[in-house]
Amino acid sequence: MTRVVLVPGCLALHPRYASRVDPVADLRAACQEAVSWLGQTPEIVAGTQGQDIARALLETRTSVADHGAERSFLVVANGSACRTEKAPGYLDPRAEAFDKELGAALRGPDPEAIRAIDPVTAGELWADTTGLPALADLLEGARTVDIGYEDAPYGVQYWVARWSTP
Amino acid sequence: MTLRLKRQSFADDCTLIMAIVNRTPDSFYDKGATWAEEAAFERVRLVVEQGAEMVDIGGIKAAPGAEIGVAEEKARVVEFVARVREAFPDLVISVDTWRAEVADAVCAAGADLINDAWGGVDPELVDVAAAHGAAVVCTHTGGVTPRTRPYRIEYEDVVRAAIDDTVAYAERALAAGVARESIIIDPAHDFGKNTFHSLELTRRLGEMVDTGWPVLVSLSNKDFVGETLDLPVGERLTGTLAATSVCALAGARVYRVHQVIETRQTVDMVWAIAGRRPPARAIRGLQ
Repeated sequence: MTRVVLVPGCLALHPRYASRVDPVADLRAACQEAVSWLGQTPEIVAGTQGQDIARALLETRTSVADHGAERSFLVVANGSACRTEKAPGYLDPRAEAFDKELGAALRGPDPEAIRAIDPVTAGELWADTTGLPALADLLEGARTVDIGYEDAPYGVQYWVARWSTP
Repeated sequence: MTLRLKRQSFADDCTLIMAIVNRTPDSFYDKGATWAEEAAFERVRLVVEQGAEMVDIGGIKAAPGAEIGVAEEKARVVEFVARVREAFPDLVISVDTWRAEVADAVCAAGADLINDAWGGVDPELVDVAAAHGAAVVCTHTGGVTPRTRPYRIEYEDVVRAAIDDTVAYAERALAAGVARESIIIDPAHDFGKNTFHSLELTRRLGEMVDTGWPVLVSLSNKDFVGETLDLPVGERLTGTLAATSVCALAGARVYRVHQVIETRQTVDMVWAIAGRRPPARAIRGLQ
């Protein structure tokens, strides 16, 4: 079995940006649960900053399962950052539909729909989709194990998802 | 160093706000506002609600004035300490006194800390603190008599003098049996010092912090702030908070204050700037 996890590249997840009150406590809990489900040395699929977040999440795992020689992948990507007027990229009326479409493709999972996400629109909506083509390849024949988080608490759309392939 | 104030311990990254509660009719800042017992008790209730970790109860104003004997000082503070202890079992209670006899009575009534603002003039005070397992604040006054104003006092190096005297006092407390983690040093701004001395102590407070003993600062609305800004009592909060910032950046651990909320915010902000305290809740730019 191959295990695949998706987490967002939210910088608040990194310990160097810790607050006294965690502003992303629910997201962090979902991420920790998901990455703990991965094997001992997952392969990271992410841009430069996303790799940093992925490594931090893996380093702060409280438990690591031994899945033998199984491969596992940790993908870092997220939806738009334009969901509200307070969002980093300000409100863009296209953002909600963009995130809805991407969310449906992830939940499926529907690799073709993930590949069809327009990178130009994604860029305009400040979405982090660098890892999506590789994720689509990983999700061929996969089934969704869990969607642990799906929300846009600060105007940025996050998902924490788990998939497996036979 | 972890600070142990009898019933409470505080990790070395904690700062503490010590709220002044005067059981006096004539202290310079509040001018008798909490002279009546009920008013003083309400003040305790208020500062606890505002987040003060401790109160510093005093029965004699620092400035010269009518002689207050031991019996009168005890009448002002001992039963009051017992009442506060009963109402606030977890609150750290400090009593501002230089007299061992008063210290003995207030410790028996529930005080955790003796704030000896007059630099150890009563040699038995440390023995009393040790016997009760209480903490002690060791201040520098330059050797002046309690309740006297500084007059033409000069130091070759005021910071060196403050360090030497407070550390010697701390060692004396230690030798008497006061726990190492229950000893605090205080340069005592304005006590035996002119404004230039107090400004220099503020500027070089880091040298006191470097001794390793936890440092208390008592800056609140004092004359060195008033003289520096040419402002009367009642208009010195901004200057007090500026001095508080400098002391916080240097690493002072305890702040003896009239204004709890403003000081707590100032200290927390500076502690965060110094990298000793995470922000309360930061998400901007990190989503």
